[in-house]
Amino acid sequence: MSEPACKLKASDYKSANKPVWCPGCGDFHVLLSISKALAHLALPVEKVAVVSGIGCSSRIPAYLNSYGFHGVHGRALPLATGVKVARPDLTVICAGGDGDGFSIGGNHLLHACRRNVDMTYIVMDNEVYGMTKGQPSPTTDPDWDSKLAPGGPGISPFYPLVIALASGANFVARGFSGDVNGTTRLIVEAIEHPGFSFVQILSPCVTFRPDQKEWKNQVHPAPVTPTADAAQAARRVMTDDGFNIGVLYKGARAPYRQAVASERRNDTDFAKEFCV
Amino acid sequence: MNGTANSNNAFLSVEDLLQHALVIELEAEQSYKELAEQMHSCGNHDVAALFEKMSALEGRHARKIRENAAGLELEERAPWEYRWDGFEPPENAELNEIHYLMKPHHALQLALAAEQRAELFFTRVANQTSSDDVRRLAAEFAADEKQHVVWIREWLEHYPPPAMDWDEDLDPPAAVD
Repeated sequence: MSEPACKLKASDYKSANKPVWCPGCGDFHVLLSISKALAHLALPVEKVAVVSGIGCSSRIPAYLNSYGFHGVHGRALPLATGVKVARPDLTVICAGGDGDGFSIGGNHLLHACRRNVDMTYIVMDNEVYGMTKGQPSPTTDPDWDSKLAPGGPGISPFYPLVIALASGANFVARGFSGDVNGTTRLIVEAIEHPGFSFVQILSPCVTFRPDQKEWKNQVHPAPVTPTADAAQAARRVMTDDGFNIGVLYKGARAPYRQAVASERRNDTDFAKEFCV
Repeated sequence: MNGTANSNNAFLSVEDLLQHALVIELEAEQSYKELAEQMHSCGNHDVAALFEKMSALEGRHARKIRENAAGLELEERAPWEYRWDGFEPPENAELNEIHYLMKPHHALQLALAAEQRAELFFTRVANQTSSDDVRRLAAEFAADEKQHVVWIREWLEHYPPPAMDWDEDLDPPAAVD
């Protein structure tokens, strides 16, 4: 990990726009962690692009001083990929929620992991669609009872970290929004790791999931060192309690551009290489 | 093993302790400022004003620590390298406990808990260090925090607990009970 070389303060990375999230929302802490990470890495604001889709957490580009793109629902990863491929000099952070990333944009997650473009995807996971008033999301437990899904959704939740590992993500971590400094470290490591890095951050929704206040007492450091073996990491994630936080996997696959750029001859080759 | 909160409180130098004390106050200043913004955003201006006052007080404490540290070299470090008892510096108010309808009483209760955590933190530092200078300074900080606890208790006398239905919203945002 690089030595701290703080030029700007974390608050310098925040824009003048004040978040309109519900008071107490975990996303406030994620915003703080991202700004602390950018400050720690001493990244100039004009060298960072934050791209998002739709949802409460996807408002985050507006609250940062960097370049930002608030895209359409579920399409944050293709947008971020395009930004990174066109401007490899930028540090690209893609951010959003579990609905945007795992349902509407679920297919893009698979292929972003496969492509392994050098960028960081941060998902603020609160297991609910907050912006549209509390519908179950892909990560909602099957028995979470609510007015909008009486008796619970009744279907198996999506396991984002396992899916990411199976699809080829090069760095996988889980954080908790209330652990601002620990999450800052995860984001710093994710940005510094070459290739596609995926950080799932458990971020409580205080309005529709007040039960998630308990997460603070449930999270714990992962009792393992990060592995470079994706199968081992996947087994660990499949069998843990969902509250292990820390870096879980660090792969060594070469990122997309470095692997192919030298061999590329023209735009047609580029299109061929990039197609799914 | 992956780590998060670092609770090793064996402070060995005055500079180390001062840097931690400074970060406690700066982060508390910032966190109260952000809580005030959250409250303004939902129209709870009374509580926002209270958080703004607390932010200003913490900022004053930070300036006082900076004055005390004049001439010493304080080493800024990565956010995760500070040694707190929990996830955050002790004087940060609990974001988890924020509610858009909260009353000044609740805001002061949060501040009271924060000051008590800070007193406990410095007391523990004083008890665990092997340095006389660190012990003396940590005990001073603990005494300051104890005084803040007294002040907030006095402040709380002006804001008794609200009625039980303080969080009742006739037009609630939640579609769940």
